Amino acid sequence: MATATREKTPVARSAEEERLIALRRRDTRRKWFWRIAGYVAVLGAWELVSPWLLEENLLPGPTRIIETFPDLWNSGRFLQSYGATLTRIGIGFAVSFGFGALLGVFTQNRWVEGFFKDAVTISLVSPGLIWALTGLVIWGFKPAGWIFAIFMTTFALVTVNISEGIRALPKDLIDMSRAFGVTTWRRQREIVIPHLAPFLFTAIRFGFSVAWKVTVLTEVFSSNEGIGFEMRIAYTLFAMDEFLTWALSFFIFTLILEKLVLQRYENKFFRWRQEVTV
Amino acid sequence: MATTVATAPIRDSGWIGVLKSPQTARLLFPFAVLALWYLIYFTIDSRIFPTPVEVLEFMWEEVTLTSGVRYSSVAENLYVQFAISILRLTIGFFIALILGTVIGLAMGLSKSVNAFFHDWVMAILAMPALVWALFLGLALGFSHTGPIIAVILAGLPFVIINVREGVRNTPRELFDMARAFDVPQNKITRHVLVPSLMPFFFAAIRYAYAIGWKGLIIAEVFASDRGMGWTIKFWYDANRAKGVIGYALFFIIFAVILEKLVFDRLSEKAFKWRPQVNAVQMAEGDFGGVTQEGFLLQESQVHGGVPIESMEGESRDG
Repeated sequence: MATATREKTPVARSAEEERLIALRRRDTRRKWFWRIAGYVAVLGAWELVSPWLLEENLLPGPTRIIETFPDLWNSGRFLQSYGATLTRIGIGFAVSFGFGALLGVFTQNRWVEGFFKDAVTISLVSPGLIWALTGLVIWGFKPAGWIFAIFMTTFALVTVNISEGIRALPKDLIDMSRAFGVTTWRRQREIVIPHLAPFLFTAIRFGFSVAWKVTVLTEVFSSNEGIGFEMRIAYTLFAMDEFLTWALSFFIFTLILEKLVLQRYENKFFRWRQEVTV
Repeated sequence: MATTVATAPIRDSGWIGVLKSPQTARLLFPFAVLALWYLIYFTIDSRIFPTPVEVLEFMWEEVTLTSGVRYSSVAENLYVQFAISILRLTIGFFIALILGTVIGLAMGLSKSVNAFFHDWVMAILAMPALVWALFLGLALGFSHTGPIIAVILAGLPFVIINVREGVRNTPRELFDMARAFDVPQNKITRHVLVPSLMPFFFAAIRYAYAIGWKGLIIAEVFASDRGMGWTIKFWYDANRAKGVIGYALFFIIFAVILEKLVFDRLSEKAFKWRPQVNAVQMAEGDFGGVTQEGFLLQESQVHGGVPIESMEGESRDG
């Protein structure tokens, strides 16, 4: 009996495993089926609705947008606009990140924290539109206008994340390394920075996703180049196909940037953790 | 007298102790803003930049209706504009809540439905309100419909995602136990399902309202001829900096009142029975970095991300 079961167990287990694998495979297949069904349904509805329900000029279908894209690309405005917008985001967010990070460090002091408490709350809860309009009405086309808007909408995100990160620093590890005479530089590099990295990444990702929205908003109101400017031109010309092409292309661009580039970099950065967290 | 005993160590250092307290710093902040404002006023090369006094006068005239400004052809004032916006927000919010709850429940209960909707919910979540606003302005013209749809689109993903997470997080053991003890279905719903959904539902309401407000005012700028968003644009187009800054301050006051007085109170009430749970911390794992306004920081993907809420409330001091 004992030998029989011993012979049988591996066979039975592999059958069980196979069943599980088949189940899992069926699950993924079903998931992908429904996922693709979702894409087909939405894109199909969009394509069909556009000529019937609304006028075609009001809601061009996906095929029209794909056709419009090469025209815009060939006109040369595409790269120029992207360059202009991304430069603004880069400058504005760099200023905001620098100040926000410093503030995050200094809010460990309770006095500084109390001083900036209301500023952080206001920045988090108020809509970006008011900062865009305020900055633009004061500074007009000057860079200070959009830098102000980006700054006011994003610095608090950075501050909150970094100050929470510092607050959660592993004090025992730092004490221990100090006791064992680890140099300051090595302590920063091997304890503090790896600990702060996830907080930094969160700050960058969220800050970026807020920054690009408010940047485009400022470009809509007062600018002579950039994605927002092109979107407004298309809007005032009632060129819905161009408008949607600009909007969707930048939307997809930022999705790729956030999802693929930042997240992949992040995963690479945290490879050493993966075994623990799964 | 008890307070003097409690603050005895501070009293030792006298005025310096008072100056060093965080409360003093908080009170000092508005003065620092005023100082900065005057600094900009005296250095900027601009003829329209107002002094704080001018802005306050403007706001006072708006509040007391003595400015004599009539917005659009209809005789409207600050209160009417605010009422229009809040009405639109509320209508859109309830539609988003109902629609989102239905879709969220379906997504939580069925994997296929989840696969069907998931990517599109994320796409709506990441789409900036500006795109909706411009599109709705072109497609629907200036009416109540455009701004209301903008509110729905802004709030819907938050409701869907939170309700879905709520369904996924209902404690299965409790259900099994209730069934084993022959508890009637309506009692299970009332005592197990609803309480475990509540925190998620509450988070959904809070974000749908807050984000819906931000989406609404952008939609009112481009797809409406009245409302708060339209009014601040009115002053921008008139190139009156005091009007823009004054209305920006109205917005800030409104947003802070909404957050601090309404939602914080409500969340205290809603979680009295469950003090250890912070409502917002549970809201969602796969926001994946792209939120409407970056309002939620997700925790499961980045292992150390922190929800913003944790810094605003009392949890910060504790």
